[in-house]
Amino acid sequence: MRKMRSDRLQFVFMLCLAFVTAGGKSFERKVAQLLQDKTEDPKCFVEGKKDLTCFWEVEKERNLHDRYTFMYSYENEKKMACVVSSLSLRASNKTVLFCKLPQELFFTPLNVQVFRDGQILYNRIFNVENVLLLDPPSNLTVMSSGKEGQLNVSWLPPPLKHMDDSMIYEVRYAVEGSHMGKVEKIKASTTLVLRGLQSDTRYEVWVRVKLDGVAYDGYWSSWTDPVFAVTAPTDMDPLIVLLVLFIGLILCLLSLTVILSHHKFLLKKLWPDIPTPEHKFPGLFTVYKGDFKEWMSQNNGSMWGRSVHVYTEELPSPVEVLSEVSLTNYSTSPREGRKPAEKEEGSERADSGLMGGWREPPHAQWLMEQLRALQENPESFSQSTLLQSHDTYVALNQNSQRVQGDTEQKVDDVFEETLPLQTLFTTAGTSSLSASHSDLGSLPQSSGSGRLSSQSSFEYPNHTWPPKGPGYAYMAVADSGVSMDYSPMSSSSIAELGKLGIYTNEYKNEIFGHKWPFSCQHIESGY
Amino acid sequence: MQITRLFALLLMVLEWTCPGLSSPLRPICDLRVLDHYIKEAWDAEAAMRACKDDYCIARNFTVPLTRVDFDVWDAMDIEEQAQEVQSGLHVLNEAISSLQAFNQTDLIQSHIDASIRNIVSIRQVLRSLSIPEYVPSTSGGEDQETQKVSSISELFQVHINFLRGKVRLLLGNAPVCHQGVS
Repeated sequence: MRKMRSDRLQFVFMLCLAFVTAGGKSFERKVAQLLQDKTEDPKCFVEGKKDLTCFWEVEKERNLHDRYTFMYSYENEKKMACVVSSLSLRASNKTVLFCKLPQELFFTPLNVQVFRDGQILYNRIFNVENVLLLDPPSNLTVMSSGKEGQLNVSWLPPPLKHMDDSMIYEVRYAVEGSHMGKVEKIKASTTLVLRGLQSDTRYEVWVRVKLDGVAYDGYWSSWTDPVFAVTAPTDMDPLIVLLVLFIGLILCLLSLTVILSHHKFLLKKLWPDIPTPEHKFPGLFTVYKGDFKEWMSQNNGSMWGRSVHVYTEELPSPVEVLSEVSLTNYSTSPREGRKPAEKEEGSERADSGLMGGWREPPHAQWLMEQLRALQENPESFSQSTLLQSHDTYVALNQNSQRVQGDTEQKVDDVFEETLPLQTLFTTAGTSSLSASHSDLGSLPQSSGSGRLSSQSSFEYPNHTWPPKGPGYAYMAVADSGVSMDYSPMSSSSIAELGKLGIYTNEYKNEIFGHKWPFSCQHIESGY
Repeated sequence: MQITRLFALLLMVLEWTCPGLSSPLRPICDLRVLDHYIKEAWDAEAAMRACKDDYCIARNFTVPLTRVDFDVWDAMDIEEQAQEVQSGLHVLNEAISSLQAFNQTDLIQSHIDASIRNIVSIRQVLRSLSIPEYVPSTSGGEDQETQKVSSISELFQVHINFLRGKVRLLLGNAPVCHQGVS
């Protein structure tokens, strides 16, 4: 029996100790919280209908209780003293002196005074109902409402009669781990539905309470411990799914209709036909089964000429060959002394000679004689031809003034024009030929429309002229991209020497053509 | 017969035009009504606190006591609470009404008029809650529940404290509003 009694007493004692400890922690927390507030000293708060506490911060020193005195008095009543106690705040390492007033009267002014060493330190008048600092709400519950992005929050207010209809609450919520939270205010209600939340997300929720300031006033309580909840996952409304499918089906049908109605056009755009040159070669594939030789022979030059025009980069500029070829002795040409350095000078004259026109092509007999002469005296011939060849070369130039002046020059020019034919025909005069070629390469072209494209091959005056046959009387000319219109006589003489396909008006140098860009100039010879 | 008919018609008309003193008022249990009057009383108190004129100071008023000890208040029954509230409203009304006899600024006059109107409205609310009317004390002399103040500022401080305290506690505790709630 005694043992049972002692056990009960021990249990009650432990319970009281627990309450005191808990209450002490709560009190210390409130003191620490209000210490940061900018209220005047002494700072006072009432936890409910009772327990009015006033405190002030002091420096740590001895005999604090002896130095400080706390006095209070209600309106029209005498002053009373209050026992001063000290409290050390562990978190902030500060010391406060406080006094718990034994009596609380609401809705009437209260005057509190603090004295230090007999001197008044603080003096404050306030109403007790204006310094309420409540405990945070209890039993905070957060649950998913079942709807997407919603949570139901509920809590219990502090148990205070007469004041529960004057309380306002703040609900703070944030995604777990996030520092960005939102706050919702609610008045005179202990439930709240949070909306607009992310689905299938874990949230933290806190709540705190305060009096509304009409009948009662005070400070915000501390936040409750956080409560976690997960919002419902995204739920697709079946109606929306059906609508989306239906609209998708309609769009598919529409696009299919459009595609089918314009399938030819779309096919042409997406899968274009491979271009064929059949239209350029009428009958080549249909009639001649791709036999180009056969087709060419049937169509001779007309089609070819047309096609050549296709590749022409420059518009052919007509050049009238006015110089006549005179079959005089050229071996003692006054131009012997001319040096290769004077190529340009000679080229001008050659140009002028060229502009004179090619009236008479060299005779076949004359050509043969020239060849023989070349064989007998190749050096002199080469020299003279060197000097003369570039003069008489078919260098197209619009400098027609000189042409009109000197007929002798014309004759000489014309004569000199024949030289290239000779030199071309001889293999020994390769240097001269090459020189002439170089000259030719340096000769400017008429109208600037066709540059001599043979410059590259003319850079080696000492190199052997690559003989491709004596019949290539057109070679140098053709190098310049010049097409010459030779008379049947000249063409026949050339034909005797060698084979060459002669084409009137237009010619492409087959020797160098594959290397150089094909620039063709149309020269109309006026015979 | 004609007289009887006339008499019946007259009764009907009179009953219809009657000011409604006999008809019971709908109980006003929502404290937001009183909160509205309290907010106006806050405005009046703030205006009077700022008044430093000679008119605002050096005056004696008899006002009710406003202090509330919850332990004591909860121990009182509804009639005692009602008597305390009704007598306090009466005293307050007399003190504020006495200011109308003097010249004051328009602002102060407006606050005085609003306070008097609000006291009348609060009495109507109490009546709707079946709170007993004020019965003057038969013992004579000053009521124990009064005090003296010496300025208009203190007068309106008492006014706001009285409304926030005893009046609100009485309205919140009215038995009519708690009928049906266990």
